[in-house]
Amino acid sequence: MMDIKLMVNNKPYTLNIEPSERLLDVLRTRLGLMGTKEGCGEGECGACTVIVDGKTVNSCLVLAAQANGSEITTIEGVGNRRKPHPVQKAFVEVGAVQCGFCTPGMVLSAKNLLDKKSKPSDDEISVAMSGNLCRCTGYDKILRAVKLASQEGN
Amino acid sequence: MKKRGIGLGCAWYGTGYGNGFPDVSSAFVEIHDDGSATVLTGAVDVGQGSNSIYAQIAAEELGLQAQDICVYSADTDATPDSGTTAATRQTYNTGNAVLRAVRQAKVSLLDYAAHKFSCPTAEGIELSGGYIGVKGDPSRRMPLADMVFQARLQGERFISAESSTARSTPVDPETGQGAPYWPYAFGCQVAEVEVDTETGLVHVLKVVAVHDVGKALNPTQVEGQIAGGVAQGIGYALLEELELHEGKIKNPALSSYLIPTALDVPNIEAFFVEEAEATGPFGAKGLGEPAMLPTVAAVINAIDDAVGVRITSLPATPERILQALADKKEEANLKGE
Repeated sequence: MMDIKLMVNNKPYTLNIEPSERLLDVLRTRLGLMGTKEGCGEGECGACTVIVDGKTVNSCLVLAAQANGSEITTIEGVGNRRKPHPVQKAFVEVGAVQCGFCTPGMVLSAKNLLDKKSKPSDDEISVAMSGNLCRCTGYDKILRAVKLASQEGN
Repeated sequence: MKKRGIGLGCAWYGTGYGNGFPDVSSAFVEIHDDGSATVLTGAVDVGQGSNSIYAQIAAEELGLQAQDICVYSADTDATPDSGTTAATRQTYNTGNAVLRAVRQAKVSLLDYAAHKFSCPTAEGIELSGGYIGVKGDPSRRMPLADMVFQARLQGERFISAESSTARSTPVDPETGQGAPYWPYAFGCQVAEVEVDTETGLVHVLKVVAVHDVGKALNPTQVEGQIAGGVAQGIGYALLEELELHEGKIKNPALSSYLIPTALDVPNIEAFFVEEAEATGPFGAKGLGEPAMLPTVAAVINAIDDAVGVRITSLPATPERILQALADKKEEANLKGE
């Protein structure tokens, strides 16, 4: 066992974990942040995307120990029903959610893109979202939602 | 060299289980004394939006808003069986069951209201904008909630259980004749592709999709279903190949079985032809599977248009395209000699 410190959604945590635990498991099972989903578990689908120190990562491929001392944003830290993030608002407005399993990862990838570049081009949006797989929407409305969020300001 | 081509694909598709298989959906409905209603059905919403459709159907029939309807679905402890979310059947089949159940609950409500308003027949009662009252007489109406509350105090409840069975007869095994499906869905798509003759890579530049959906109850969801179908069709045409070896899947992972990403899917323009289906709930019919069927043919035809090779084995991977181009060249050389 080992001790790590994480800042998750602006809250500090000190955790005693197994060195082999994935960041995804620590977020979901130790912190109860179930918004982060496990899809493929091998870094292909992006459902487990979280933001670590300003970079999107697949939390299934990151050991929790590697994230020691990091600032992490999960979907729970992005917005809520009363105060949705502009990206979340745009997803709802455009109808970019179908089954919803990819949505937390999609929202985090979009948020991180817009944090870094408030007015991305269509190509930049497609590239930024290409690490997140979606089987329902055909991406069409997701890309439109990200565009809308960028136009309405971040 | 990069070459562009355009291809067309058309599809027609019988919705429902078909071939005489019992295709039954069911629903329970209760109209409550707060002016809301509950719909219980076994239909599973896997993201296509069936719960929204049932809320809309119930709301339309009761003169309420969709948010006034609580749809409780897919709980084997509490909801009646509505078959599988498959065969493009949940909007049509379970939608019909929900509509029948709502109408059944409404019959006793209208009878009760006719009595209250001293109206000779329930035909003279209407539900609109959250109110119940006598048609054409705005002075004789009250909030639906108040009417149901009064009824409740007198021991009346507006509850129903209904089912809907799709029309289907088995085909004759000798002649193949019969009426296996109803209704049918129709669609047509055009794809523009760019084929790289050096690498064999195909890039889909644009897809225009037109589908006959009956009446589109929820246009946003219809667009979503079409775009999702087109993306799956592009995967079917260009990427997805399930490799089997002695009954085992060789590529059971997203690293070896590739599906389209945001970079593989082009701009999709979706149009729908709203030809109301007389037997469907408010004219609707299904769209799920038909949305992906024409895409494959459109993409493969566009490849033919671009580089003049006919791909007959899916998916049209770069290897297969290059092989087809090489075969074509060899054939041309042989003819030339």
